[in-house]
Amino acid sequence: MTVVGTPPPALPVRDKGAGRALSPMLTRLAEERATGVLVREHGVLHLAEGRVVHAESPLAPGLDVLLTAHGTLAATAWQQAAARTTGPLLAAELLLRSGVLPTGALELCHLDALYDAGYFALAPSSTPGRFRYDSTPRLGPLPSVPVVALERETLRRRLLLHRLWPDPAADTAPLIRADPAAGRAPANPAGPTTPATQAASATPVTPRQRAVLDRVDGVRTATDIARNLGRQAFHTLVDVRRLTAAGQIAPLPTAPSAPPPPPPLGQVTTDPDIALLKRLRDALEAL
Amino acid sequence: MPGIDECLLEAMRLPGARGAALVDWTSGLALGAVGEAPGGDHETTAAEAAELARMAAEHGTFAAGGDDLPPVEDVIISNGDSYHLLRFVDTSFDSSVFLHLWLGREEGNLALARIRLGEMAARLVLG
Repeated sequence: MTVVGTPPPALPVRDKGAGRALSPMLTRLAEERATGVLVREHGVLHLAEGRVVHAESPLAPGLDVLLTAHGTLAATAWQQAAARTTGPLLAAELLLRSGVLPTGALELCHLDALYDAGYFALAPSSTPGRFRYDSTPRLGPLPSVPVVALERETLRRRLLLHRLWPDPAADTAPLIRADPAAGRAPANPAGPTTPATQAASATPVTPRQRAVLDRVDGVRTATDIARNLGRQAFHTLVDVRRLTAAGQIAPLPTAPSAPPPPPPLGQVTTDPDIALLKRLRDALEAL
Repeated sequence: MPGIDECLLEAMRLPGARGAALVDWTSGLALGAVGEAPGGDHETTAAEAAELARMAAEHGTFAAGGDDLPPVEDVIISNGDSYHLLRFVDTSFDSSVFLHLWLGREEGNLALARIRLGEMAARLVLG
Protein backbone atom coordinates (compact mmCIF):
# COMPACT_ATOMS: atom_id res chain seq x y z
CA MET A 1 0.00 0.00 0.00
CA THR A 2 1.54 3.22 -1.10
CA VAL A 3 1.21 6.24 1.09
CA VAL A 4 0.09 9.13 -1.00
CA GLY A 5 0.84 12.54 0.38
CA THR A 6 -1.47 15.45 0.04
CA PRO A 7 -0.82 16.76 -3.47
CA PRO A 8 0.26 20.36 -3.56
CA PRO A 9 -2.45 22.68 -4.80
CA ALA A 10 -2.53 23.61 -8.44
CA LEU A 11 -0.62 26.66 -9.57
CA PRO A 12 -3.02 29.55 -9.57
CA VAL A 13 -4.03 31.28 -12.74
CA ARG A 14 -4.35 35.01 -12.65
CA ASP A 15 -7.82 36.37 -12.36
CA LYS A 16 -7.99 38.74 -15.27
CA GLY A 17 -11.20 40.25 -13.97
CA ALA A 18 -9.51 41.45 -10.84
CA GLY A 19 -8.24 44.89 -11.68
CA ARG A 20 -6.40 45.22 -8.42
CA ALA A 21 -3.27 47.27 -8.49
CA LEU A 22 -0.66 46.71 -5.83
CA SER A 23 0.53 50.26 -5.94
CA PRO A 24 -1.66 53.03 -7.33
CA MET A 25 1.46 55.12 -7.72
CA LEU A 26 3.04 52.46 -9.88
CA THR A 27 -0.05 52.26 -12.08
CA ARG A 28 0.06 56.00 -12.60
CA LEU A 29 3.79 55.90 -13.39
CA ALA A 30 3.19 53.18 -15.96
CA GLU A 31 0.38 55.20 -17.56
CA GLU A 32 2.53 58.28 -17.91
CA ARG A 33 5.44 56.11 -19.16
CA ALA A 34 7.64 57.48 -16.44
CA THR A 35 11.38 56.98 -16.21
CA GLY A 36 13.02 56.86 -12.83
CA VAL A 37 13.43 54.87 -9.65
CA LEU A 38 10.64 53.75 -7.31
CA VAL A 39 11.92 53.11 -3.79
CA ARG A 40 9.66 51.02 -1.59
CA GLU A 41 10.16 49.53 1.84
CA HIS A 42 11.36 46.11 0.66
CA GLY A 43 12.91 46.90 -2.69
CA VAL A 44 13.52 49.20 -5.62
CA LEU A 45 12.09 49.20 -9.14
CA HIS A 46 13.86 50.94 -12.02
CA LEU A 47 11.41 52.15 -14.66
CA ALA A 48 12.17 53.21 -18.20
CA GLU A 49 9.28 54.59 -20.25
CA GLY A 50 6.87 52.92 -17.86
CA ARG A 51 8.45 49.47 -18.05
CA VAL A 52 10.40 47.71 -15.31
CA VAL A 53 13.98 47.28 -16.49
CA HIS A 54 15.54 46.25 -13.19
CA ALA A 55 14.50 45.38 -9.64
CA GLU A 56 16.47 44.97 -6.46
CA SER A 57 15.53 43.83 -2.98
CA PRO A 58 17.58 42.99 0.10
CA LEU A 59 15.32 39.94 0.42
CA ALA A 60 16.23 38.47 -2.99
CA PRO A 61 19.65 37.43 -4.29
CA GLY A 62 20.79 39.68 -7.10
CA LEU A 63 21.79 38.70 -10.61
CA ASP A 64 25.41 38.57 -9.44
CA VAL A 65 24.61 35.91 -6.83
CA LEU A 66 22.53 33.84 -9.23
CA LEU A 67 25.27 33.92 -11.87
CA THR A 68 28.31 33.34 -9.67
CA ALA A 69 26.98 30.90 -7.04
CA HIS A 70 27.32 27.86 -9.29
CA GLY A 71 30.20 29.06 -11.42
CA THR A 72 28.16 30.19 -14.43
CA LEU A 73 30.25 33.31 -14.23
CA ALA A 74 33.50 33.78 -12.32
CA ALA A 75 33.10 36.16 -9.42
CA THR A 76 36.04 38.19 -10.70
CA ALA A 77 34.35 38.60 -14.10
CA TRP A 78 31.30 40.09 -12.39
CA GLN A 79 33.43 42.35 -10.20
CA GLN A 80 35.30 43.65 -13.23
CA ALA A 81 32.07 44.39 -15.07
CA ALA A 82 30.59 46.01 -11.97
CA ALA A 83 33.68 48.16 -11.48
CA ARG A 84 33.39 49.53 -15.01
CA THR A 85 29.68 50.37 -14.79
CA THR A 86 27.19 52.04 -12.49
CA GLY A 87 24.82 49.41 -11.23
CA PRO A 88 24.06 45.72 -11.79
CA LEU A 89 21.88 46.22 -14.85
CA LEU A 90 24.62 48.00 -16.78
CA ALA A 91 27.13 45.41 -15.60
CA ALA A 92 24.85 42.72 -17.03
CA GLU A 93 24.61 44.63 -20.32
CA LEU A 94 28.38 44.85 -20.46
CA LEU A 95 28.61 41.09 -19.94
CA LEU A 96 26.08 40.63 -22.73
CA ARG A 97 28.09 42.76 -25.14
CA SER A 98 31.36 41.09 -24.24
CA GLY A 99 29.83 37.70 -25.01
CA VAL A 100 31.19 35.93 -21.93
CA LEU A 101 27.73 34.53 -21.26
CA PRO A 102 25.19 33.03 -23.66
CA THR A 103 22.45 35.54 -24.42
CA GLY A 104 19.67 33.18 -23.39
CA ALA A 105 21.29 32.38 -20.06
CA LEU A 106 21.77 36.04 -19.23
CA GLU A 107 18.22 36.99 -20.30
CA LEU A 108 16.79 34.15 -18.29
CA CYS A 109 18.77 35.01 -15.17
CA HIS A 110 17.93 38.69 -15.57
CA LEU A 111 14.19 37.98 -15.79
CA ASP A 112 14.39 35.55 -12.87
CA ALA A 113 16.09 38.19 -10.73
CA LEU A 114 13.69 40.93 -11.87
CA TYR A 115 10.51 39.01 -11.01
CA ASP A 116 12.09 37.75 -7.79
CA ALA A 117 13.14 41.14 -6.46
CA GLY A 118 9.93 42.68 -7.84
CA TYR A 119 7.88 40.29 -5.72
CA PHE A 120 9.46 41.67 -2.56
CA ALA A 121 9.56 45.26 -3.76
CA LEU A 122 5.79 45.12 -4.22
CA ALA A 123 5.16 43.42 -0.86
CA PRO A 124 2.79 45.24 1.47
CA SER A 125 4.71 47.97 3.22
CA SER A 126 4.21 50.15 6.22
CA THR A 127 5.67 53.21 4.55
CA PRO A 128 4.67 54.88 1.30
CA GLY A 129 6.89 54.43 -1.74
CA ARG A 130 8.88 57.31 -3.19
CA PHE A 131 9.48 57.88 -6.87
CA ARG A 132 12.42 59.83 -8.17
CA TYR A 133 12.23 61.01 -11.76
CA ASP A 134 15.62 60.19 -13.17
CA SER A 135 16.63 59.83 -16.78
CA THR A 136 19.23 57.14 -16.04
CA PRO A 137 17.13 53.98 -16.50
CA ARG A 138 16.59 53.16 -20.17
CA LEU A 139 15.33 50.34 -22.27
CA GLY A 140 18.42 48.29 -23.03
CA PRO A 141 19.21 45.03 -24.75
CA LEU A 142 18.01 42.91 -21.82
CA PRO A 143 14.26 42.23 -21.62
CA SER A 144 12.02 44.61 -19.67
CA VAL A 145 8.63 43.84 -18.17
CA PRO A 146 5.42 45.89 -18.26
CA VAL A 147 4.47 47.15 -14.81
CA VAL A 148 1.11 45.41 -15.08
CA ALA A 149 2.78 42.07 -15.82
CA LEU A 150 5.00 42.35 -12.74
CA GLU A 151 2.05 43.34 -10.55
CA ARG A 152 -0.10 40.48 -11.76
CA GLU A 153 2.69 37.96 -11.39
CA THR A 154 3.38 39.21 -7.87
CA LEU A 155 -0.29 38.76 -6.92
CA ARG A 156 -0.29 35.30 -8.45
CA ARG A 157 2.83 34.37 -6.47
CA ARG A 158 1.25 35.59 -3.24
CA LEU A 159 -1.75 33.40 -3.93
CA LEU A 160 0.47 30.42 -4.72
CA LEU A 161 2.30 30.73 -1.39
CA HIS A 162 -0.96 31.23 0.47
CA ARG A 163 -2.38 28.04 -1.01
CA LEU A 164 0.72 26.05 -0.05
CA TRP A 165 0.62 27.16 3.57
CA PRO A 166 -1.34 30.19 4.68
CA ASP A 167 0.94 31.38 7.48
CA PRO A 168 3.69 33.70 6.18
CA ALA A 169 5.71 33.51 9.42
CA ALA A 170 8.26 31.12 7.89
CA ASP A 171 9.02 33.57 5.08
CA THR A 172 11.00 35.91 7.30
CA ALA A 173 11.86 34.16 10.59
CA PRO A 174 14.93 32.02 11.26
CA LEU A 175 13.96 28.45 10.49
CA ILE A 176 14.28 25.35 12.64
CA ARG A 177 13.94 21.68 11.86
CA ALA A 178 10.69 20.28 13.15
CA ASP A 179 9.95 16.68 13.93
CA PRO A 180 7.38 15.62 11.37
CA ALA A 181 6.30 12.75 13.60
CA ALA A 182 5.39 15.22 16.30
CA GLY A 183 2.28 15.93 14.32
CA ARG A 184 1.92 19.42 13.10
CA ALA A 185 -1.38 20.58 11.76
CA PRO A 186 -1.79 19.22 8.24
CA ALA A 187 -1.84 21.43 5.21
CA ASN A 188 -5.57 21.62 5.49
CA PRO A 189 -5.90 23.45 8.80
CA ALA A 190 -9.39 22.06 9.26
CA GLY A 191 -8.11 18.49 9.08
CA PRO A 192 -7.80 16.38 12.19
CA THR A 193 -4.53 14.99 13.49
CA THR A 194 -5.08 11.53 12.18
CA PRO A 195 -3.23 9.16 9.87
CA ALA A 196 -3.71 11.81 7.21
CA THR A 197 -1.27 13.98 9.11
CA GLN A 198 1.28 11.23 9.20
CA ALA A 199 0.80 10.62 5.51
CA ALA A 200 1.45 14.30 4.86
CA SER A 201 4.57 14.06 7.01
CA ALA A 202 5.74 11.10 5.01
CA THR A 203 5.57 13.08 1.78
CA PRO A 204 8.98 12.57 0.24
CA VAL A 205 11.28 15.54 0.30
CA THR A 206 12.30 16.47 -3.23
CA PRO A 207 15.98 17.04 -4.06
CA ARG A 208 15.44 20.79 -4.27
CA GLN A 209 13.66 20.79 -0.93
CA ARG A 210 16.45 18.66 0.55
CA ALA A 211 18.95 21.39 -0.34
CA VAL A 212 16.80 23.90 1.58
CA LEU A 213 16.23 21.52 4.48
CA ASP A 214 19.97 20.87 4.83
CA ARG A 215 20.55 24.59 5.38
CA VAL A 216 17.93 25.05 8.08
CA ASP A 217 20.00 25.64 11.22
CA GLY A 218 17.96 27.81 13.56
CA VAL A 219 19.72 30.94 12.36
CA ARG A 220 19.20 31.24 8.61
CA THR A 221 16.04 32.73 7.17
CA ALA A 222 14.58 31.78 3.81
CA THR A 223 16.43 34.74 2.27
CA ASP A 224 19.73 33.56 3.76
CA ILE A 225 19.13 30.07 2.40
CA ALA A 226 18.29 31.44 -1.03
CA ARG A 227 21.50 33.42 -1.10
CA ASN A 228 23.50 30.45 0.16
CA LEU A 229 22.05 28.27 -2.58
CA GLY A 230 22.28 30.93 -5.27
CA ARG A 231 18.58 30.34 -5.80
CA GLN A 232 15.70 32.72 -6.32
CA ALA A 233 14.15 33.77 -3.03
CA PHE A 234 10.61 33.07 -4.24
CA HIS A 235 11.59 29.55 -5.28
CA THR A 236 13.01 29.09 -1.79
CA LEU A 237 9.80 30.41 -0.23
CA VAL A 238 7.78 27.86 -2.21
CA ASP A 239 9.86 25.05 -0.72
CA VAL A 240 9.86 26.64 2.74
CA ARG A 241 6.07 26.83 2.75
CA ARG A 242 5.75 23.27 1.46
CA LEU A 243 8.23 21.98 4.05
CA THR A 244 6.34 23.91 6.72
CA ALA A 245 3.06 22.41 5.57
CA ALA A 246 4.67 18.96 5.71
CA GLY A 247 5.81 19.60 9.27
CA GLN A 248 9.50 19.37 8.36
CA ILE A 249 10.46 22.88 9.38
CA ALA A 250 9.00 25.71 11.42
CA PRO A 251 9.75 29.36 12.06
CA LEU A 252 11.79 29.92 15.19
CA PRO A 253 9.30 30.99 17.84
CA THR A 254 9.89 34.57 18.86
CA ALA A 255 10.60 35.29 22.50
CA PRO A 256 7.35 35.95 24.30
CA SER A 257 6.84 39.64 24.63
CA ALA A 258 4.64 41.50 27.03
CA PRO A 259 1.02 40.87 26.12
CA PRO A 260 -0.48 43.74 24.19
CA PRO A 261 -2.75 45.96 26.21
CA PRO A 262 -6.32 44.78 25.97
CA PRO A 263 -8.33 46.74 23.47
CA PRO A 264 -10.72 49.22 24.95
CA LEU A 265 -13.87 47.35 25.74
CA GLY A 266 -16.71 47.62 23.35
CA GLN A 267 -14.84 49.74 20.86
CA VAL A 268 -13.81 47.32 18.16
CA THR A 269 -16.39 44.63 17.89
CA THR A 270 -19.52 46.71 18.22
CA ASP A 271 -18.79 48.74 15.12
CA PRO A 272 -20.96 46.95 12.58
CA ASP A 273 -18.66 47.84 9.69
CA ILE A 274 -15.57 46.50 11.41
CA ALA A 275 -17.39 43.38 12.49
CA LEU A 276 -18.56 42.81 8.94
CA LEU A 277 -15.08 43.37 7.56
CA LYS A 278 -13.65 40.90 10.05
CA ARG A 279 -16.21 38.28 9.12
CA LEU A 280 -15.42 38.88 5.47
CA ARG A 281 -11.72 38.57 6.13
CA ASP A 282 -12.20 35.34 8.08
CA ALA A 283 -14.39 33.95 5.33
CA LEU A 284 -11.86 34.87 2.66
CA GLU A 285 -9.04 33.35 4.64
CA ALA A 286 -11.02 30.17 5.07
CA LEU A 287 -11.40 29.77 1.30
CA MET B 1 23.84 33.39 -29.73
CA PRO B 2 20.08 33.20 -29.46
CA GLY B 3 18.06 34.92 -26.78
CA ILE B 4 14.75 33.68 -25.42
CA ASP B 5 12.64 35.18 -28.23
CA GLU B 6 14.92 33.87 -30.99
CA CYS B 7 14.82 30.42 -29.42
CA LEU B 8 11.01 30.43 -29.33
CA LEU B 9 10.77 31.72 -32.90
CA GLU B 10 13.12 28.98 -34.01
CA ALA B 11 10.88 26.42 -32.34
CA MET B 12 7.93 27.88 -34.23
CA ARG B 13 9.65 27.03 -37.52
CA LEU B 14 9.29 23.32 -36.80
CA PRO B 15 6.62 21.67 -38.96
CA GLY B 16 3.21 21.85 -37.30
CA ALA B 17 4.29 24.22 -34.51
CA ARG B 18 1.29 26.08 -33.06
CA GLY B 19 2.84 27.77 -30.05
CA ALA B 20 5.95 27.81 -27.90
CA ALA B 21 6.84 29.17 -24.49
CA LEU B 22 9.63 29.24 -21.93
CA VAL B 23 8.09 28.52 -18.53
CA ASP B 24 9.32 28.45 -14.94
CA TRP B 25 7.87 25.35 -13.34
CA THR B 26 8.17 26.53 -9.75
CA SER B 27 6.14 29.68 -10.22
CA GLY B 28 4.19 28.83 -13.39
CA LEU B 29 5.37 32.05 -15.05
CA ALA B 30 5.84 32.22 -18.82
CA LEU B 31 9.13 34.06 -19.35
CA GLY B 32 8.39 34.20 -23.06
CA ALA B 33 5.65 32.97 -25.36
CA VAL B 34 4.98 33.06 -29.10
CA GLY B 35 2.24 31.74 -31.37
CA GLU B 36 -1.03 30.30 -30.15
CA ALA B 37 -1.91 28.73 -26.83
CA PRO B 38 -4.59 26.09 -26.24
CA GLY B 39 -7.66 28.04 -25.19
CA GLY B 40 -5.99 31.23 -26.37
CA ASP B 41 -4.29 32.05 -23.08
CA HIS B 42 -0.53 31.64 -22.64
CA GLU B 43 -0.72 32.35 -18.89
CA THR B 44 -3.17 29.56 -18.17
CA THR B 45 -1.24 27.23 -20.45
CA ALA B 46 2.01 28.06 -18.66
CA ALA B 47 0.52 27.45 -15.21
CA GLU B 48 -0.95 24.11 -16.24
CA ALA B 49 2.14 22.94 -18.12
CA ALA B 50 4.26 23.98 -15.11
CA GLU B 51 2.14 21.75 -12.90
CA LEU B 52 2.83 18.78 -15.15
CA ALA B 53 6.54 19.56 -15.43
CA ARG B 54 6.90 19.93 -11.67
CA MET B 55 5.28 16.56 -11.04
CA ALA B 56 7.65 14.92 -13.51
CA ALA B 57 10.71 16.71 -12.14
CA GLU B 58 9.99 16.05 -8.49
CA HIS B 59 8.95 12.43 -8.48
CA GLY B 60 11.88 10.07 -8.18
CA THR B 61 10.12 7.49 -10.31
CA PHE B 62 10.86 9.45 -13.45
CA ALA B 63 14.40 10.56 -12.60
CA ALA B 64 17.52 9.37 -14.39
CA GLY B 65 19.88 7.23 -12.36
CA GLY B 66 23.06 9.29 -12.33
CA ASP B 67 23.52 12.17 -9.92
CA ASP B 68 25.10 14.32 -12.60
CA LEU B 69 22.18 13.92 -14.97
CA PRO B 70 19.20 16.25 -14.96
CA PRO B 71 16.28 14.31 -13.50
CA VAL B 72 14.05 14.50 -16.56
CA GLU B 73 14.65 15.52 -20.19
CA ASP B 74 11.22 15.64 -21.76
CA VAL B 75 7.57 15.21 -20.99
CA ILE B 76 5.43 14.26 -23.98
CA ILE B 77 1.66 14.42 -24.13
CA SER B 78 -0.29 13.36 -27.17
CA ASN B 79 -3.97 13.85 -27.80
CA GLY B 80 -6.29 13.41 -30.75
CA ASP B 81 -5.13 16.46 -32.63
CA SER B 82 -1.86 17.65 -31.13
CA TYR B 83 1.32 16.95 -29.22
CA HIS B 84 2.74 18.82 -26.28
CA LEU B 85 6.47 18.57 -25.85
CA LEU B 86 8.04 19.88 -22.64
CA ARG B 87 11.83 20.06 -22.69
CA PHE B 88 13.65 20.83 -19.44
CA VAL B 89 16.43 23.37 -19.81
CA ASP B 90 19.55 22.32 -17.96
CA THR B 91 21.22 25.52 -16.76
CA SER B 92 24.54 25.95 -14.99
CA PHE B 93 22.81 28.39 -12.60
CA ASP B 94 19.91 27.45 -10.36
CA SER B 95 16.63 27.58 -12.26
CA SER B 96 13.54 25.52 -13.02
CA VAL B 97 12.56 26.21 -16.62
CA PHE B 98 11.39 24.22 -19.57
CA LEU B 99 10.50 24.85 -23.20
CA HIS B 100 6.91 24.02 -24.10
CA LEU B 101 6.14 23.32 -27.75
CA TRP B 102 2.59 22.71 -28.96
CA LEU B 103 2.48 20.82 -32.26
CA GLY B 104 -0.38 20.02 -34.60
CA ARG B 105 -0.63 16.27 -34.96
CA GLU B 106 -1.19 16.19 -38.72
CA GLU B 107 1.87 18.20 -39.70
CA GLY B 108 4.02 17.70 -36.63
CA ASN B 109 6.89 15.24 -36.44
CA LEU B 110 7.32 14.36 -32.79
CA ALA B 111 10.69 12.63 -33.14
CA LEU B 112 12.19 15.50 -35.10
CA ALA B 113 10.70 18.10 -32.77
CA ARG B 114 12.09 16.31 -29.73
CA ILE B 115 15.61 16.32 -31.13
CA ARG B 116 15.42 19.93 -32.33
CA LEU B 117 13.90 21.22 -29.09
CA GLY B 118 16.70 19.54 -27.13
CA GLU B 119 19.26 21.30 -29.30
CA MET B 120 17.49 24.63 -28.88
CA ALA B 121 17.33 24.21 -25.09
CA ALA B 122 21.08 23.59 -25.01
CA ARG B 123 21.90 26.53 -27.31
CA LEU B 124 19.69 28.85 -25.27
CA VAL B 125 21.85 28.54 -22.18
CA LEU B 126 25.15 27.25 -23.52
CA GLY B 127 25.45 29.48 -26.58
